[in-house]
Amino acid sequence: MTLNKLFSIFHLSWLVSHRNWTVYKKDFISNTSPTLADPALILVSLGLGLGGFIAEIQGMTYMQFLAPGLAVATALFTSFFESSYGFYVRMTYENVFKAMLTTPIGVLEIVVGELLWVGLKGALMAFGVAVVLACFGLMANLYLIPMAAVVGFLVAVPCGAIGLLATGLVHNINQFQSVYSFIIAPMFYLSGIFFPFEQISPVIRWLAEIFPLIHGVRLSQSIFWDQNILQTFAVSGSILVFQSLLVGYFSYRVIKKKLVS
Amino acid sequence: MSVLIKSDKVEKKFGSFQAVKSLDLVIKQGECFGLLGPNGAGKSTFIGLLYGTSLRTSGDLKVFGLDPSSSSHQIKKRLGVVTQDNALDESLTVFENLNLYCGFIGIEYGQRKKKIQDLLEYMNLSHKIDAKILSLSGGMKRRLVFVRALLNDPELLILDEPTTGLDPAVRHLLWGKVKELHKKGTTIMLTTHYMHEAEVLCDRLVIMDQGEIKAEGSPQKLIQNYGSGFVAIFASLIKEDLQSALTHFSDLSFKEESSGLYVRGPKLENLFLLQEKLKVSAMQIRPTNLEDVFLNHTGQGLSDDA
Ligand SMILES: Nc1ncnc2c1ncn2[C@@H]1O[C@H](COP(=O)(O)OP(=O)(O)OP(=O)(O)O)[C@@H](O)[C@H]1O
Ligand SMILES: [Mg+2]
Repeated sequence: MTLNKLFSIFHLSWLVSHRNWTVYKKDFISNTSPTLADPALILVSLGLGLGGFIAEIQGMTYMQFLAPGLAVATALFTSFFESSYGFYVRMTYENVFKAMLTTPIGVLEIVVGELLWVGLKGALMAFGVAVVLACFGLMANLYLIPMAAVVGFLVAVPCGAIGLLATGLVHNINQFQSVYSFIIAPMFYLSGIFFPFEQISPVIRWLAEIFPLIHGVRLSQSIFWDQNILQTFAVSGSILVFQSLLVGYFSYRVIKKKLVS
Repeated sequence: MSVLIKSDKVEKKFGSFQAVKSLDLVIKQGECFGLLGPNGAGKSTFIGLLYGTSLRTSGDLKVFGLDPSSSSHQIKKRLGVVTQDNALDESLTVFENLNLYCGFIGIEYGQRKKKIQDLLEYMNLSHKIDAKILSLSGGMKRRLVFVRALLNDPELLILDEPTTGLDPAVRHLLWGKVKELHKKGTTIMLTTHYMHEAEVLCDRLVIMDQGEIKAEGSPQKLIQNYGSGFVAIFASLIKEDLQSALTHFSDLSFKEESSGLYVRGPKLENLFLLQEKLKVSAMQIRPTNLEDVFLNHTGQGLSDDA
């Protein structure tokens, strides 16, 4: 019975994700290309430009150091924008959920479905970026490219949950800008993507550990550099799963308040 | 006959505003039930309570014997809803919209295409199967929402203002379909602002205002209770003449409305006599109808003691 119920929740959530995929794939090229182009741009400007001034960082070139972070950053941005602006528009302007809620779909399925969707989208994007980076010779072991998708998924879900949580709390669409400026951007700049995490002040490091990105960066570094993969997945992977459940639960609570009066 | 909806002192508050007040209602299997009331009366709010997109503040509510605040999943499997706003997914085509819903309600892959084609055919929309939502007219969108609501062969079909904003042809088409479904045994609950629609379709109705039920019964019975008879409507200009002429008729009542002067009485002859006396013909003389009953109960119309 309980297993049946779980299966039903998962099945219906999957259909909610599938709705987004149906829409997304209609404009596949124009939807995906910017997400892949951005990291390439950062790589060229920072990696080649700035990298010229940096002799070596933790025994590798600056490009090699930067690469893993770019793959997870893509997952972060993809999922956050999808679950904040994207979800908000679907909920408020496009009225997508109003009719869904007349069917056996409930708020739980909508939230799980959206998180599943951002997870899969994050996986796809991280994988795509990893392929591009691998072409630059920035992946130590090419067999590990598919693992980038796993990392993308694990990072995208908690980051998407942050976006959903924000959607449940904002009073209008402009307020996402604050969430971006005060949470997402700091996370992006202070999670050890651009310079070794250990060089940041301890207070900020301690704060950053609360957020998902640093754990994703560690996972990504382990697969890009082919170092300590199992150990990193056991620790950082578990933390990401825990964060996903925690933030996901709270996002469910606030979204429920928006969809059920 | 089994009871499909039982509402016992159901209340709904939004903050301090009470949208539904102590609503008692029973809807039985096979009925076509109408919920009438002015804008903001609480009709859509009550409908939301039935399938759990809105949670009641107090009272007891059962749909198919289940509580919608805890069992909405089971209830929604057996329900079809034509929502007040179409809420169609504009990013998807007609077919994609319906296919998505087939998934939600658990129609097997192999059967979806046929089911969709059949229902589109039924609503004269077959040619639009691959159209974008934005390319559909208002009437087509509404018919598509009907198709969406019928995909799971619902036992209970809820229609929230199904024909608002539609041309007479589409409205008659939809009435025909609703009657057919009703005949086949589908229980129907509908809200409407068209009294004629309620008279044509409903076996029984309630009139609600400000969250409360004001009257209940079959359309005929409601009209009877109000006083079956006739209404003459005169232009506002002749108010004084009319009032003095009315002193000669003890069985006629009078009420001034922004749309004209309404005179009501049980006998048609007296209204004609009134016309003769005034030497002015009425803009309209007609039998009392549900609209008079509605206006009376919602505090805007010709009142009984006027
Ligand atoms: N989520 C909400 N929060 C606050 N007030 C609400 C909410 N939903 C409805 N109301 C209020 O409850 C009252 C009843 O609204 P409802 O939509 O049920 O009316 P209705 O009878 O369907 O009207 P209409 O014929 O215009 O569709 C209105 O005054 C409305 O403003
Ligand atoms: Mg309404």
